[in-house]
Amino acid sequence: MPAESKAAYAPGDRVRILDLGKPGHVRTPVYARNKVGIIDRYCGRFENPEERAYGRVGRARIPLYRVRLRQRDLWTDYEGAEADTLVLEIYDHWLRPV
Amino acid sequence: MAERLITDIGGLPAGEVPRQEAPPLFWQKHMLAMFNVLWSNGILNLDEYRRTMEEMSPEDYNRSTFYGRRLDGMIELLVEKGLIDRAELGARTDDILRKGTRDHAG
Repeated sequence: MPAESKAAYAPGDRVRILDLGKPGHVRTPVYARNKVGIIDRYCGRFENPEERAYGRVGRARIPLYRVRLRQRDLWTDYEGAEADTLVLEIYDHWLRPV
Repeated sequence: MAERLITDIGGLPAGEVPRQEAPPLFWQKHMLAMFNVLWSNGILNLDEYRRTMEEMSPEDYNRSTFYGRRLDGMIELLVEKGLIDRAELGARTDDILRKGTRDHAG
């Protein structure tokens, strides 16, 4: 991985949140995996918490995005408004373009 | 298939959330101050701390509390990093508990 990965997505891009099946400390909640949302904004680059959780600090900074998902897509029994959304911060390697 | 961490409870049935105020005990404030000193000096980081929570057995995690988990996680990291000795910590803890603290009589 290059030391400073470039931002791959722009606001409005459709992305799928992956299920990497990765053991150990990860920050992508199970309920959001395999769901499709749109990029809300690019947050900057940060060290990977999946590395920092094991004391590996000072490594490459990777892009982080806010991804906006429709509540109706997350919860089959959602009773709120059709337009309701949820924004999650997701690291680049958990995303694929749709 | 996704491995669900003990902390990853979004969307699971939850029951009633208790909302009563619980004023912090002295040891709880003391412990958070210590945690913040270790954190701001780069001795431990929040991702490591979260990882110690996730490595707890579901029984221990659910039996413990916000402050209890924070204390146990901090101890776990300090032992892991070789900064404190678990047996020495145990002996000193026993000694302090025997003598009493601001939160309880010895």
